[in-house]
Amino acid sequence: MRVIVVGAGEVGYHVADRLAKERHDVVVVDVEAHRLEYVQSHIDVAVVEGSGASPAVLERAGLKEAGLLLAVTSVDEVNLVSCMTAQQRPGLVRVARVSNPDFYEERARVQPELFGVDLLINPERELALEAFRLLQSTAATDVAVFAGGAVQLIGLMVTEAAPIAGRSLAAIGADEVGRQLLTVAITRDGATIVPTGATEIRAGDHIYIVAAAREIPHALELAGHELSELRRVMLAGGSVETYYLAQLLQQHGVNAVAIVEDRTRAHELAEKLDRTLVLNGTVTDLELLELEGVGGMDAFVSLTDSDETNIISSLVARHAGAKQVITLVNRSDYVTLARHLGLDAAVSPRLSAANAILRYVRRGSVTRVATLKDTEAEAMSFTVAGTSPLVGVPLAEVKLAEGVIVGAIVRGRSVIVPRGRDALRAGDTAIVFALPGAVERVVQLFPS
Amino acid sequence: MNLGEVLRIVGALVSWTAAAMLPCVPFAAQEALLGPWLWAIGVTAGVGGGLWLLMPRPVSINPREGIVIVGLGWVVIVLAGSLPFVFTGVTDSFPAALFESVSGFTTTGATVFEQIEPLPRSILLWRSISHWIGGMGIIVLGVAILPYLGVGGAQLFRAEVPGITADRLTPRIAQTARLLWVVYALLSVVLAFVYLALGMTPFDAINHAMSALATGGFSTRTASLAAFSPAIQWVTALFMFMAGVNFTLHYQVLTGRWKAWFLDPEWRWYFSSMVGVAVVVFVAVALDAGDWSLTTMRHAVFNVAAVHSTTGFATADFARWPSVAQVLLLGLMFVGAMGGSTGGGFKMVRAAVVAQHTRGEIRKVLHPKAIVVTRLGRIPLRSDVVLNVLAFLGMYVATHALGTVVLAALGSDLLTATSAALAAMSSIGPGLADVGPAAHYGHLGPAAQVVLSVLMLLGRLEFYTLLVLLMPGTWSRGGGHR
Repeated sequence: MRVIVVGAGEVGYHVADRLAKERHDVVVVDVEAHRLEYVQSHIDVAVVEGSGASPAVLERAGLKEAGLLLAVTSVDEVNLVSCMTAQQRPGLVRVARVSNPDFYEERARVQPELFGVDLLINPERELALEAFRLLQSTAATDVAVFAGGAVQLIGLMVTEAAPIAGRSLAAIGADEVGRQLLTVAITRDGATIVPTGATEIRAGDHIYIVAAAREIPHALELAGHELSELRRVMLAGGSVETYYLAQLLQQHGVNAVAIVEDRTRAHELAEKLDRTLVLNGTVTDLELLELEGVGGMDAFVSLTDSDETNIISSLVARHAGAKQVITLVNRSDYVTLARHLGLDAAVSPRLSAANAILRYVRRGSVTRVATLKDTEAEAMSFTVAGTSPLVGVPLAEVKLAEGVIVGAIVRGRSVIVPRGRDALRAGDTAIVFALPGAVERVVQLFPS
Repeated sequence: MNLGEVLRIVGALVSWTAAAMLPCVPFAAQEALLGPWLWAIGVTAGVGGGLWLLMPRPVSINPREGIVIVGLGWVVIVLAGSLPFVFTGVTDSFPAALFESVSGFTTTGATVFEQIEPLPRSILLWRSISHWIGGMGIIVLGVAILPYLGVGGAQLFRAEVPGITADRLTPRIAQTARLLWVVYALLSVVLAFVYLALGMTPFDAINHAMSALATGGFSTRTASLAAFSPAIQWVTALFMFMAGVNFTLHYQVLTGRWKAWFLDPEWRWYFSSMVGVAVVVFVAVALDAGDWSLTTMRHAVFNVAAVHSTTGFATADFARWPSVAQVLLLGLMFVGAMGGSTGGGFKMVRAAVVAQHTRGEIRKVLHPKAIVVTRLGRIPLRSDVVLNVLAFLGMYVATHALGTVVLAALGSDLLTATSAALAAMSSIGPGLADVGPAAHYGHLGPAAQVVLSVLMLLGRLEFYTLLVLLMPGTWSRGGGHR
């Protein structure tokens, strides 16, 4: 499929990269020639210089053959106009990035259909939502929800004290509690494995568990984490992500403290967030953090624009005793670094945006996609059609590709954690976990 | 500053005052007072019409001229308003006549007359009319009617309507002024008919309806509302409460957005403090008198509403209530009604802003680096608005202190002096001790009456409008942006 990506910034670059790797024909449009040069020298895409809102530029980018237009510049208005410009082209799916909270007010949201937009994505808000879900399940490194929230995929570090450490998956699955959970992936020494029943879990593993949402607290306990209630959260940085996350926390009655370095921005946030305490100061100022009781915080989330500042302030907060620390990291090589430094939960705006877009690209029967940070692996949610070769065959007998596992089946209102003898039925929602090489094969197994 | 243009508009406003005296003429004819009344009307209309005809037609009004029009206009109008009292001979003291006129136009309702019933009906009606046109504001009426006040009208409007912001119901200020007057007139007519239905005579009904909606306080009876039935008192309490509410909210409610009251943060403060104080006063009075009847509750609710809305009607002599009740009433006298209402006082909205700001300052002690935003409800306030409110608080307290000192120097005791100064500035009417609901201001002497008249005008026009008249810079020709 021909894909036009308008905007070669953080989000645009990353999405173009992902799509090119999945063998789509990608054309990147941007006004800045130097950014296009960088894109072309790093990934296999065509580039067109000019404004994505211009009909002539879109024409040159091959609008006639395009199946997908992703308008993801950092200027919302350009994105919306770009989609409007491309409105005439039938069969084209148009995605616009809208980040400005003014366009995203709860009561008066921009109406996508007025601009010919099929999907509005808000990477900053997606990221805030992801961080919020992480906060809700305290120790998690990743959280993704499927089937309207009925099923969750959660990433956890296995502690020394974990009840499951040193046991095989088959042994864990025999337990009353363990039966409700399925470990779909393990990351150990930088490699991701899709486990079998014989695989043993060790302390220090990074495991991904799929379970019904209500079983998630058990998953935390099994991995050796204490459950705690979220009451006080400190946010570092005055980014748009901070605004969205503070708003989510306010809505859920959690006390939030935000530290904002820029005085004008601090005033702006203080005016917009009526139940958040906004402080004007440096996020790495240990004295300030201690004065405001960082040690007593249930969580510390660093969301400034600078990866380095985020990592440092998270380390400071961890050192001071904050229970849970979440770090915003843009550069992918820093994600691994952050983990080595003991910062388990890192969130990335690029991944959040990419997830939102990829979910839409493979529209067919895929209803949701989550990409996990450490691995390139994906969790996908499919609606099972009657034509699927998997229907009616027990999972143990199906020849799934290497590195693929069915994590959960949602049938009506019940969530089934599948064992070998379970089989899929038409109409089920299947949550499937796959390593990158197997994604294409999986999509074929679930025709729409 | 173009004095000629200013005087022409002042002339127009004074002519309106003459027209407002006309309804008194039929009563004057019956009471053999036609001569004095025609003199009063003639002088007023002569001065007003003369200024109107002789002075040049204004091209446009700048902000400074707008404030001068309002300040000067009010001074001339209250002087004109005192003429009927002087010419009809109901008082032989000019300060007393001036006091009564100022008390009328500022909707204070304090009187110099010991007995009300012996007064001629034409004078009683004039007292109520002065309340009514002073309540929503004679200048707002001018803005509503005089087309060339269109542009500068916003300045006039802001200078006369109390509160921290002038809400516009419509993009055009004249239209807003007209709507406010329509709502005001409508509510007055409704109350008059309710009074009629509850057995008041037409004359009493019209007078009390005008007085109540203006949060005035003049009655046709010495005993005030105590002379009427409990049902009438309950209805009056309700309408006094309503008159203390921002009239733009009433407009919204009348046009179908009936949640407007409850959504307004200032309304919630006003309502809560009204109910809260009424409950405490009821308990205090009931404990003191050992009487937990509905009558006690009616007196508590009525008099709290009368003071909080700054009307100043009375059904009981609250100067004899237990001191906790008196102190609470003093507090309400200070706070007063909502901004944008016909009531006076410091204004609920300002009290709310001061309270929120103080809370923020306390928060800053705990969190030295906190950015604290003062809000009204959920809406953040600009810091210059907060500073303006704090300056106003300083002005209010200082003026009150000065007024108390002068009144004490003129021979009043402490409680009389402090409550009289406050009741005048907040346009309440009755104070405590020697100027309580059962007493009057006639015995205070001319000097004290003039001082109180000035305090009433300062309070009604919220200081700045009147004080700029005393600044030499105001009158310089070169100033302003003409």
